[in-house]
This record gives sequence, structure tokens and C-alpha cells, in this order.
Amino acid sequence: MRAETWRLLAGVLVALALVLPLVPLAIWSGAHGWRYPDLLPQQWSGKAWTLALSDRGGVVESLGLTLTIAIATTALAALVGVPAGRALGLYDFRGKRLILLLLLAPAILPGIALVLGLHDLFLRLGLVGTTGGVILAHLVPVLPYMTLVMAAVFAGFDTRIEAQARSLGAGPLRTFATVTLPVILPGLLTGALFAFLVSWSQYLLTLAIGGGRVQTLPLVLYSYAAAGRNDVAGAIALIYILPGLAILLFTASRVTGRGFGAVLRP
Amino acid sequence: MTDRTRILLLLGPALVLVGGMVLSALGLALLRSLHLFPVVAPDLSAYATVLGSPGFLASLALSVWIATVSTALAAALALALALLLRRGFPGRGMVAVLVQLNLTVPHVVGAIGLLYLVSQSGAFARLAHAAGLIARPGEFPALTHDPYAIGIILTYIWKEVPFITLILLAKLQTLGEGHEQVARSLGATRWQAFRHVLLPQLAPALAAASALVFAFAFGAYEIPLILGAHAPEALPVAAWRAFTDVDLTRRPQAFAISVLVAGLGIALLLLYARLTLPQRGRHAG
Amino acid sequence: MLRPLAALLLLTTAATADTADGEALKAMTWDQIVEEARGGTVNWFMWGGADNINAYVSDYVAGVVQRDYGITLNRVPITDAAEIVNLILSEKEAGITETGTVDLIWINGENFRSMKDAGLAFCGHTALLPNDALVNWDNPAIANDFGVPVDGCEVPWNTVQFAFAHDSAVVAEPPRDMAGLIDWIKANPGRFTYPAPPDFTGSVFVRHVFYHAAGGPEALLGPFDQAKFDEVAGKTWEILNELEPFLWREGATYPTTVTQLNELFANGEVAFSFNYDPAQFGLAVQAGLWPETTRSFGLADGTIGNTNYTLIPFNSPNKAAAMVLQNVLLSGEAQLEKARTEVWGAAPAIDIARTSPEVQAGFAAIEAHPSVVPAEELAKAALPELQTDWLTAIEQGWTVNVGN
Repeated sequence: MRAETWRLLAGVLVALALVLPLVPLAIWSGAHGWRYPDLLPQQWSGKAWTLALSDRGGVVESLGLTLTIAIATTALAALVGVPAGRALGLYDFRGKRLILLLLLAPAILPGIALVLGLHDLFLRLGLVGTTGGVILAHLVPVLPYMTLVMAAVFAGFDTRIEAQARSLGAGPLRTFATVTLPVILPGLLTGALFAFLVSWSQYLLTLAIGGGRVQTLPLVLYSYAAAGRNDVAGAIALIYILPGLAILLFTASRVTGRGFGAVLRP
Repeated sequence: MTDRTRILLLLGPALVLVGGMVLSALGLALLRSLHLFPVVAPDLSAYATVLGSPGFLASLALSVWIATVSTALAAALALALALLLRRGFPGRGMVAVLVQLNLTVPHVVGAIGLLYLVSQSGAFARLAHAAGLIARPGEFPALTHDPYAIGIILTYIWKEVPFITLILLAKLQTLGEGHEQVARSLGATRWQAFRHVLLPQLAPALAAASALVFAFAFGAYEIPLILGAHAPEALPVAAWRAFTDVDLTRRPQAFAISVLVAGLGIALLLLYARLTLPQRGRHAG
Repeated sequence: MLRPLAALLLLTTAATADTADGEALKAMTWDQIVEEARGGTVNWFMWGGADNINAYVSDYVAGVVQRDYGITLNRVPITDAAEIVNLILSEKEAGITETGTVDLIWINGENFRSMKDAGLAFCGHTALLPNDALVNWDNPAIANDFGVPVDGCEVPWNTVQFAFAHDSAVVAEPPRDMAGLIDWIKANPGRFTYPAPPDFTGSVFVRHVFYHAAGGPEALLGPFDQAKFDEVAGKTWEILNELEPFLWREGATYPTTVTQLNELFANGEVAFSFNYDPAQFGLAVQAGLWPETTRSFGLADGTIGNTNYTLIPFNSPNKAAAMVLQNVLLSGEAQLEKARTEVWGAAPAIDIARTSPEVQAGFAAIEAHPSVVPAEELAKAALPELQTDWLTAIEQGWTVNVGN
């Protein structure tokens, strides 16, 4: 057999493996009872979707909340991470390695190492159980990605174009908007995509800092799965992956592959 | 404005926010684990209890097992997948898109999907039944809630192979094929070119990505919660259970576990820094 | 830096906390309390895994308190009440005494004991509720929550009694007592299991075996007795270890939650599931998860029953509104609504004879779900709960001696 045929075969296997775990979720979401050994549900029903999309299910509200938190975290991360990335990318200074380590730490430290201490800290600040608290907490695992992507972007940035703009009379804000931003935009979008996804899939951190009160989608999904409502869990799981897909498809054309190399989260 | 002030201003917010939160969290956990906050009397009893309990050691062993096996298998498969995707074949674009899409699927979704797929009464077991291979669910191999944590490892592999693959693809893109072609033209076999030219160039990126995967697989909570056996529990599950135990005396133990995990994480962090951060120089990626 | 910031945050939130002072409320008349409550919000933390229970609370109960009192009910779904008890404990440790996150919690057993012992419960207010008169406090199963005196710290909501479920198409004649069940398990290897304690449901199954080993619960009632425990526990572990090779996966693994057990039952892997609240069986059938041929039963030597309650934490900022909500939950109408098979099928915590003739007629007209064994039938052989010290000892003993 030709090498290309082998590669095709391997490719088909990979594609199957990537899609398979999502198939039972999709089937469950339309099932009214689906017991062993039936390959397909005894009866189809739209009730899981009806419940998931109704006010009562709390899913729509939770989707909005999860989106709000992820977008706010991403915006905050950009606000803080772009300047930090600029400092790390453009300048060499004493203690830079230490600062890099500190900013990288939350990405490498296993989640459980920070969650309990953060809970204690946020409790003392009165932030446990608040959406704002959850956003601030999400910044911890999110910022390393934004900072490092931006550091990589600024490492290849030529500051002379800013100087030229200034010399032609543009103010700092105008220089940033018209000269700097267009250059760093692809990298910024990559960083934002990762920031969004990291916040979007947080579980334990939200559970701890949200104190059970900030019910993001992963928590709602788990609570239905833990109660044995596989049908509703299936519907929520599909709803849960949609925004990520949409954002990826939307940004795919603008995100450079190089961004992936800078840093990533599992 | 001097460079020094400029750097301080640029880095300030990130350092205060994240550095502050991380250091405070670690500090508080350390104080709490030593019974120092609220002040009782400093002692190491929480560590003695944790390290002396067979449950903790079993949990630690399980989490190390899960993280090691997941990382090793995911790294090997990702290397193969990246090399595959570098070549052309029909449907390559489709596979590449699926790999990227997988990155957007939250872990908790993957864990629940895998549960419905490979449990003893899951979709695969039903296919096996339809094929006449098994009669009862109990005859299907136990892949979830099992002593070897196979379901948990499968979930990590499913999520982390695409992750490592994308990092490797990005690296391959920057490397180009020049060095390999030179090696081939000098008479190296395809394997030799890979082993002695390409692999060493990919190794730092692969190792860095693997460190991230290891840390994540070691510290994640929801996947072992959904797919794990009743005993031993993965370390994060055990820590969270001790933390939320209504018996307050178990809390310092939870903090002790988190400090021990942090110690391991810091070792990993230093390793990661050695692999990825330049000693000096402007490049930071 | 933290302290002033925290103080500032406390100050700003304290301004909106109007009925945190429980002692002041206790000095008021009910009408005054209702006035205080008007327009308030109640954050009710409760297990959120059953959508019909969620619907009852979010649609029916929330509707009533909004319509009659202008109170907004915010139902907060949780998976484990222990986590919320822990949250309130953390708040107390951090000095949050008037601005707690939780206004009401659905609770019983060990979690109640923890809250009461740690001073986390708002106590002594229950007699102020007009509908408290419907509760038969002379019934020890209501006046004591797992052997711990309620002492006006919580208000009963439902009563439940443990029952087994089986598929009548698979097991036509299930065993009728514990000895018979043990024989059945040995005769049908791999067809039975129970969730590993400290899971709530697994723990109560092990207690049934414990009672069986003790020859009945009589000798075990009252405070924890180490000598008695050691004697009975030895026999219990012996029985359970002897059963282990006959269990699902030969006892090498136990389900971690009752949901896993339900899943095993739904797929025919095991022949029985069980639950503290038999109404759950009817719900599983309605949801299509379990076969229509599901039936349920108690044991001739009795099954354990208890009461679950609602409790207001000491630091709730909305105590008045939470009290009004507790009163509504106790009303004959609300108790009847949740007793309806199609709504929830929960057994009432009030004495039906004390309710209005309309409510009594409503209760009489309820038709039970065929999969749910009637509460009256179970009540013929009811066993009391032990005090929580026993429960903890049994759970820990199980982990060391059986589940290792």
C-alpha cells in the first residue's frame, strides 16, 4: 500500500477518535431512556432540550453568566497582559527570569495547589460567592497565556514605527490605536482566544470561589450528570461546546499558527 | 521616563494582581497548614497526619501514575500526529480542523462523553453486545471507575494529544524542512534524519508541552471526580474532600496536601523554566 | 492592606443587610416579621439534581412568596450540602456574621449536627411561624434529626423512608428481609452492590446491615457506645466482607454515588437500587431512565426513615424573608402540592389531620405512582436513625475494614 493510503487511514482513525466521545452526548440529548443493550434510544424526545432551553433549567442564564465571566476575564487579561508582555518582550533587565517565573507559575502549578489558598484569600476579601470574585480568580490561570503570547509578539516588534508616528505629531493613544494595535492584533487575538478558553473551562476554581453561588455551565453540567440526568447533561454539553467552536471558527482566519507555539494550556 | 520606570509601570498591574494573588494564596495555604492562621500554635501535625496516612500515599501514587502515563502516551501520540499532519493526504485539512476544535471542548465535557462511551454499559459495550462478543455489561472490560484509572487517562489523552500536536506543528512550521533535507542528501535514512536531526530540534517544545500536561493531569479535579474509583481517590479529589469535610480539624490537612502539591509544582516550574526560558536575551517565547 | 479593604467591603454590604439581627426578629409579632420580609430576597441553597423538585421550588413556591409577600426566591442548586455548611463555617472563621451568602439551606443529619454544634444555625424562631402548629413535635422522628434534638433550629420539610427498587420483569419475587437479601446476593453473584460510604445512600444501606447484625436498633439508640459499637461492627464487617466476592465487580470497586448505582440498575448490571426517598423511583421511570416495570419494597424487619428540614444560617442577612418562606413551605397547600405524584411525590412533614378539610381531601385523592411503594406501607416497619456519632464511626469503620 502506498504511504499516502496509510496516512489517509491514520487520519480517518484520528478524526474518529476526536469525534467519538461527543456522539453519545448528542444521542443522549434526544433520548427518552437509553438502556443497555440498545444501540439507539427506545424513544426519542425533545424534553432534555426543552428543559435546557427553558427558564427553569437555569442553563440559558448560566450560559450568559459563563460568557460574561470569560469575556470579562479576557478583557482584564488583555488590559494587564499587553503592557506586561511589552515589558518582557522589549526590555532586558535584572530579575526578568524571576518575574517570568512568577507570571508563569499559575500555568504550571497544579490547580489544587492554588485553589484552597485562593479561597482563603478571597474569603477574607469578601469576594467568595461573587461574580467579580470569580472573574478575578480566573485571571490567575489566564494571565500567563496572555502575557507570554504578548511577550512573544513584542519580542519581534519594531519600536521605531511608534517613534516615527510620534515624530509626526501623534499622541500616545493615537499611536497605540493606529500604529501599535494593528501590528500586535493577530497575536492579541490568539492570546484572547486562549484566555477565553481557559476561563471558559474552569471547574474547581469557580466551584471554590463562587461558593456554589456562581453557577457556570460546567457546574450546571456536572450537577445534572451527577443526578443521573444523562439526557439533560447531553444537551448542556452540546450547548457548552458551541461558543468555543464559534469563536475558533471566527478567529481561525486571523489567528496565526505561531501563537500556538508561544504557550498553551492543556 | 527612564526604561526602569517604564518597565515597572508596564509590569506593575500584572505583578500586583497575579503575583499578589499567587503568593498570598501559597502563603495562606502554608500558614493554614501549620495551624498559624488563625493563630493556634505552630505545629506540623497536619503534615504528620497526611504523610502518615495510607490513603494519602495511595492517592499520591495514583495521581503520579495518571499524570505520568497520560503525559507519556499523549506526547508519543502527538509526535506521531504532528508528523502525520506535516505530510499531505486526502482529508488532512479536515483532521487539522478537528484537532483545533478539540482544543475548545472543556475537559468536563470530554470526561462525561467518555463515560457514556466506554463504561461497561456504554456505547462500545452495546456495540460489543450487538456483535455477539458479550452478553452482560459485566463482561465488558472495566474502563471507568477502575483501579488503573484507564478512563481518566483516556480523557487526558483525548484532550492533550491535540494540545501537544498544535505546539509541535507550530514548532515544525518555524523549523522548515531544510536541515532534514541536508541530512537526507548526505545519506541519512528517513529514520536517522528524524532521530538525529528533527527530534532534537523538537525536544524542547515537546518537553515544555509535556510539563504543562503533567501539571494539569496531576492537579485537575473534575475528571477523576467523574471517572475515578471509590478508592484510592486522586489527590485533588482527596484534598477537596478534606477541605469541605464538616470536621474542621481536617482543614489543615487539606492545606498540607495543597502545599505538598505546590512543592511538586514549583519543582516542575523550575524544570519548565530551564527548558523554555533563555538565560539572557530579548526573546521570551 | 487586606484588612482595611475587607472592612470597607463589609461596610458597604452591611448597609443593605436589613434583617440579619435574629434576636430583634424574635421579639416581633408575626405580622411585623412579614412586614420586614416584604420585598426581600431569599438565597435558598438546595440539592438541584431533580428537575421536578427544582420546578416545584422555582415555579410553585417562588410564585407563592412573590405573589403573597413580594419576596424573591433565588434557588441556588448545589450537589452536596456539606460544601455549603463548610462555606458558612469559613464565613464564621473570617468574621462574616451579618452578610452571609446563604439564607436558607435544605439539610439534615450530620450536616445539621455540624451546624448546630458550631453555632452556625439561627435557632429559637420556629415557634413564631403560624404553620408550626401543623407540625407534630411530639413525634420523636420529627423532634430529633438523626438523634440530635432540633431545638427550634430547623423546620421540617419532608419525611422519607428507605426502600429498594427492582425490575419486576427481571426479579419477580424480591427478598423481603435482610437475611433473605443476603442469601439472594450470594445466590446471584455480580448482581448487587452499594455506593461506598460516606455516600449518603451507601451509608444508610450499611446501617441496615449494622442493625441486622445487632439484632435490631434498640440497643444502639442513644449516645455513642464504643464497646457496643466494636461488638456490632465486628459482625457487620464480617457479613459485608463475606458478601464482597458476590458483589458487582467482585467488590473490588464500589460505586461512589447513588447515581452510579442507579445507572447500573437502569442498564441491568445490578438487580436492585435503593433510595432514602422512594419518590425518586417514580421520577426515574417518568424520565424514561428506568423501565416501566420498576417496583419498590421495604423490608419486613423494617427500613430506616428520617425527616429533612430547612435551616436559616446564623449570618443570613435576610432572616425575615427566609422565615416567611419556611412558613409557606409548611403550609397545607404547599405540602399537598409537593405530595402530588406528578409534581414530586414527597411525603409531608406536617400532621395531615391538623390541616383544612380541603387539604385533607386533596391528600386523600392522591394516586401513588405504581413504581413507588406507598409511605403507609413502608411505615408499618420503620426504623429510627442513630445519632450522628454512630454514623461517622460506621462510615470510617467501613472505609478501613471493608472498602480498602
